[in-house]
Amino acid sequence: MTGLGGFARRTERTGLAGLDGLTGVSSRLPRSLTPTAVVLVVGAVIVLVYGQQYTGSVFVLAACYAIVTAGMAVQIGFSQQIAFSQSVFMGVGAYGVAMLNTHFAMPVLVATPIVLVGAGLVALLLGSVVTRASGLALAVATLMLPLIAAGYVSSAGYLGGVVGAPLTGTLWPSSSSTSTTVIAVAGGLIVVVFLAIAVFVASRILTSDIGLELFVLGVDERTAAAMGVRTPRRKLELFVLGCVFAALGGAAYAGTQQFVPETLVDPTSELALLIMLFIGGRRSIIGAVIGALVIQYLQGASNWVSVNILVVEGVLLTVVLLVDPEGLAGIVNTGMAWLRQRRGAAGAAAGPGASGEAVAGDAPLTARAGGQWAADHGGAASAALAGAAESAAGAGGAGVALLECRGIGKEYGGLTVLDDVTIKLPERGLFGLCGPNGAGKTTLLNVIGGSVPPGRGTVILDGADITRRPPQERFHLGISRTFQAVHLIKGRTVLDNVAVACLASHTSSIVTRVARSKLDDARDKAARTLSDLGMRGIQDREVSSLTLESQRMVELARALAANPRLLLLDEPASGLSEEQRHRLAELLTAFGERTCVLLVEHDLDLVAQVSERIFVLSSGRLVFDGGPADFRASPVVNSLLVGL
Amino acid sequence: MKFGNLVIAGLVTGSIYAVFAVCVAVWYRVSNILNLAVGDFAMVGALGVDNLYRVKGLPLWAAIVTTLAVVGVFSYLYDQVVLRIALDGRRQMEGIVVTFFFTFALSFFIDGVAKMLFGTDVHAAPALWNGASLSWGSLHLERAGLLVLVCAVIIGGAFWVYIRYTLGGKAMEASGENAIGARIAGIDTRRYRRLIFVGTAVIAAIFGIVESPITGYTYLSGATISLTGFLAAAYGGFRKPGRALVAGLAIGVLEALLGGYVSAEYGDTVLYAILAALVLAWPRGLGFESAVTQ
Repeated sequence: MTGLGGFARRTERTGLAGLDGLTGVSSRLPRSLTPTAVVLVVGAVIVLVYGQQYTGSVFVLAACYAIVTAGMAVQIGFSQQIAFSQSVFMGVGAYGVAMLNTHFAMPVLVATPIVLVGAGLVALLLGSVVTRASGLALAVATLMLPLIAAGYVSSAGYLGGVVGAPLTGTLWPSSSSTSTTVIAVAGGLIVVVFLAIAVFVASRILTSDIGLELFVLGVDERTAAAMGVRTPRRKLELFVLGCVFAALGGAAYAGTQQFVPETLVDPTSELALLIMLFIGGRRSIIGAVIGALVIQYLQGASNWVSVNILVVEGVLLTVVLLVDPEGLAGIVNTGMAWLRQRRGAAGAAAGPGASGEAVAGDAPLTARAGGQWAADHGGAASAALAGAAESAAGAGGAGVALLECRGIGKEYGGLTVLDDVTIKLPERGLFGLCGPNGAGKTTLLNVIGGSVPPGRGTVILDGADITRRPPQERFHLGISRTFQAVHLIKGRTVLDNVAVACLASHTSSIVTRVARSKLDDARDKAARTLSDLGMRGIQDREVSSLTLESQRMVELARALAANPRLLLLDEPASGLSEEQRHRLAELLTAFGERTCVLLVEHDLDLVAQVSERIFVLSSGRLVFDGGPADFRASPVVNSLLVGL
Repeated sequence: MKFGNLVIAGLVTGSIYAVFAVCVAVWYRVSNILNLAVGDFAMVGALGVDNLYRVKGLPLWAAIVTTLAVVGVFSYLYDQVVLRIALDGRRQMEGIVVTFFFTFALSFFIDGVAKMLFGTDVHAAPALWNGASLSWGSLHLERAGLLVLVCAVIIGGAFWVYIRYTLGGKAMEASGENAIGARIAGIDTRRYRRLIFVGTAVIAAIFGIVESPITGYTYLSGATISLTGFLAAAYGGFRKPGRALVAGLAIGVLEALLGGYVSAEYGDTVLYAILAALVLAWPRGLGFESAVTQ
């Protein structure tokens, strides 16, 4: 799926994609304000016009669910942290408000914030246990929550058991003299405001620098950690966010329905919420809201559709997913992209200048950027590394080793992968790491990078023991790496892929970025790195549309953009042609002059050409350590690697 | 002999979990899709036979054959139409999250149709083996329970043998491990996906017919049954039918013992809490791959 159409669709798929299309705003404007405004205005109009009618009540109920699904879009859709906690926390919100209202005669509007804080604290406790799990384990562990909650609620007498819990108060503070119209309309307006707040917070998070972190986390937890993302913290924050949104939806539900049915915490309502999210579009906030509206509208239709709602939902979900896995939001985006493309094509026919930029952006990278590297590598690549050089010069005295691995040992179930490996690397220079397949090269890189804990030995960076530090901390200490298989983030542009390494948000909490995002700073920094490497022309391309060479270059750029003190490269040349290897070698030499590079590579000529010292591993043991001349002459190396 | 009777009761419940866990695990192994609709096929089996036999007055054997034929044809058509477009089409669905939602939608669809055809009451297929419950001293076992237990062991064992000892089983396994590699080696991965999908649907329907006299089904029972099977499959690492069978039986026994000795009311709550704690404590030992995203 290459070509302009596919590319346009995929890049726009991400995040809040639909909004550009729906509102015609350019991506430069703060996009998160537009959906909030749309929700607020459209919602208020619907409530004011239909408020006291049946349609109005269906809409308000849908808005309650939409608050929940907006949180799910952030947690489940965008960040791919599948946790089945929503229906339970909707119950926490609804029952909490009902209890405070009935037993303490507390107005619903006062009870709501109290319940939200309580739900947040419970979620924090629960989340700090369950978010240790990843992927399917997280899904299965949290699947127990609705099962436990459903059993508890049906037998807990003070919650009303199977009968449910009624409320005496309403969302809009009312007395016996308040007319039902006022209660319905004012209550509905409050729900719309709640929803607008939820949409605002969710959209701001997704479009901020933390949104980029979350996207990487969703694609691959390991890459995210290697790029400095504090994954345990983000996972916990996402869990709490999802729970608080659900509790808010639950509180709004209780306040407007004035009754909490036992079925609210049933596992089937968890399934219903997931259906809304996936029909609307799992990664889009507006999609999630629309999904809730569509499903609730169909359920409330009181005709053949609502009687056979299960059949309708089943068919609708199947058809929508077949057309586009990103749901209704994805379908709308595709349509918009198609329209824009047609308009663009018409413009191009009228005047070639109009779409000239788009055409240039789609030209093959290797033809242009490749030539540019060859011309620029001396000056430009050095410029890219100027920052790295400065940081290297600032820290550590002369003669002190930057990295020291002492007696590293690692076993996998009785198989020794690394055995007493000791290496020392100085502040600057390029060092090769060779060995036959299975010698332990990548494992050593993983031990240094932090994704694999060593069985024995210590890793020392700049005099400090970092053996037990997680990968994200090592990233902040200046260790940057690439992976053997390309680990780029599909669905994002080259610029965003590099910007991941430039984020300043790792220590901030997820909500602080609602006020101000520094994504543009990160993108600026990424753009500088890319233009230094002569890759500016491809910065707006989606990464999976690039050639392998370009993808590897983007990975290099990403590893460099953080100004690392130690650069770990895992077979950057694999899959590249002779000519491409040549260009890479020139680039690597330039890197080595500025920073410390450890290069794992199978291409012995390349290693001997660029490295000042070479380590050879065999069956986990260090069998050679010396300069390139000795390397070529060494009988050990020849018998192991060349087969002489 | 409270303990003995609880274990027997637990084994019967556990074999229900086990069969669905095996069905989920086998199809996941071949297609990398978690099938939430498997319980719904069981529900259709039970309610379909009940409807044809009791309401429409067909002979029991004809009712069973017709129901199984309908389940088989429907699952075949679903594979040919929906799964074909979703998995073999121009734009293939990736990741277990989106594909899971196809079976999710299928489950809703089947439930909805069952509601139209069979109504909302609790029904069950007629018991296939009537008579007083079997007793050894103070131990008691309903005949239907024994039938369920035997069925579970046969189904689980057959899949285990198939995967472990036959060429077809190996090819099936290869389809799930690496579809492209399997195709290069001349394995028709789509055929195995279809075979196992239709096969597990029919097996689930048969099991629903055998089992329904014990629990009774409504049109909504399917999702709950799938979820319990899904859980047991999870503790068998999702891919291992043998382990899923054992996990299903173990969960059933644990549930019965907790209900009998801890609390009839909160036994299930304790059970779920134990299961959640197991996942969190040994995710790797239980075979959870972090396979949600890719």
